[in-house]
Amino acid sequence: MSGNSVLLALPLSRLATGESETTTLYRELRKPLLRYLVCLGLSMDEAQDVVQDAFLGLHRHVSGGGSQENIRGWLFRVAHNQARNRQTSYDRRFSAPLDPEIDSLLDEATPERFVLEKEKFRRMAKAIGSLTDCERECLLLRAGGFRYREIGEVLDIPTSTVGDTVDRAIKKLAEKCNV
Amino acid sequence: MCNFSGKLIAWLDHELPENEAADVERHVKGCVECGSSVHEYEEAGNLLDAYCEAVMASKSKRKHVPWTLVAAGAAVTAAVAGLLLAFLPVLRQQRVPIEQLPAHSAAVVPPPAAVVKVRVGPMKKSQQRHDDTPVHDSARASARNPERNSRQSEEANWMATGQNIQIAIPADAVFPPGVVPEGVNFIADLSIAADGSPERLHLRP
Repeated sequence: MSGNSVLLALPLSRLATGESETTTLYRELRKPLLRYLVCLGLSMDEAQDVVQDAFLGLHRHVSGGGSQENIRGWLFRVAHNQARNRQTSYDRRFSAPLDPEIDSLLDEATPERFVLEKEKFRRMAKAIGSLTDCERECLLLRAGGFRYREIGEVLDIPTSTVGDTVDRAIKKLAEKCNV
Repeated sequence: MCNFSGKLIAWLDHELPENEAADVERHVKGCVECGSSVHEYEEAGNLLDAYCEAVMASKSKRKHVPWTLVAAGAAVTAAVAGLLLAFLPVLRQQRVPIEQLPAHSAAVVPPPAAVVKVRVGPMKKSQQRHDDTPVHDSARASARNPERNSRQSEEANWMATGQNIQIAIPADAVFPPGVVPEGVNFIADLSIAADGSPERLHLRP
């Protein structure tokens, strides 16, 4: 080869690390995503289906040259929309009482703690049930560590609306739970 | 109500601009009412977190039940595969119906938890006649009718030419008592290729 050869900057390192990046993303975001969907009212099976579809969509999105900015927001938005498409079970399950599940969680608690925690959770379940869909979604995303701007991107609403909604929802919870 | 009450949650969430956040912080330090509200909002947020974790853990816990059944199903499949590997060479060499296998043949089977009942397809009448006929009668018959003899030879090879075999495994011998209704069996369908290897293996309830 002559001395005038040109070095080609192939993105091989990116290709090589592509799989591990996806794996890392999956490992980091799977549980928060599942938690969001389950707390929205999906069953674990439904939530896992939605998470799987969301990551499949992410793979297509990235393969198709889509933007890689705010992947977490992108994933939650896709999952959120899919959860919305399962509206029937979403509403039915969220309105279902969670007491039996709470009982099973508190099996190992002392009797005093059991009663206290159960009462707290019961009030919280009731308080969450009294929120609007938007308030509930904003709170759950906030609990997942999202900033107001990111919540707005996921739910497709202005940041100022998110601020007002979170403010209203937290005050409702505090009032109804008597914390 | 205090003028700052509408900014407390945004302040807690670090969503206010720096100068506003500094104002709220100064105010909260001096205002008992706002200090109390901030505490309530923090508690409500923490309780929501705990509640979400509890719901998540509870639903994950309930999810484990089906996996035990899946594991049991996998164990059944493995047991059937082991049985097939153990029985098929014997069947091919001896060419006798499986019911007539000596009892010690089962000793070569890897540790199945199930009692295995093996059933082969119904034997044709001509096949039974062939098996019951003494050798010299058969030879005489073949001398009289070579065409019939040829047909019988083909039928004698039924075991190696795609005859379907079913192996029934009682489910209650594999699963713990009460998990599966009594009398339920798993059926393994397979046939034997010309070279003696199993093919078209299919497991069904």
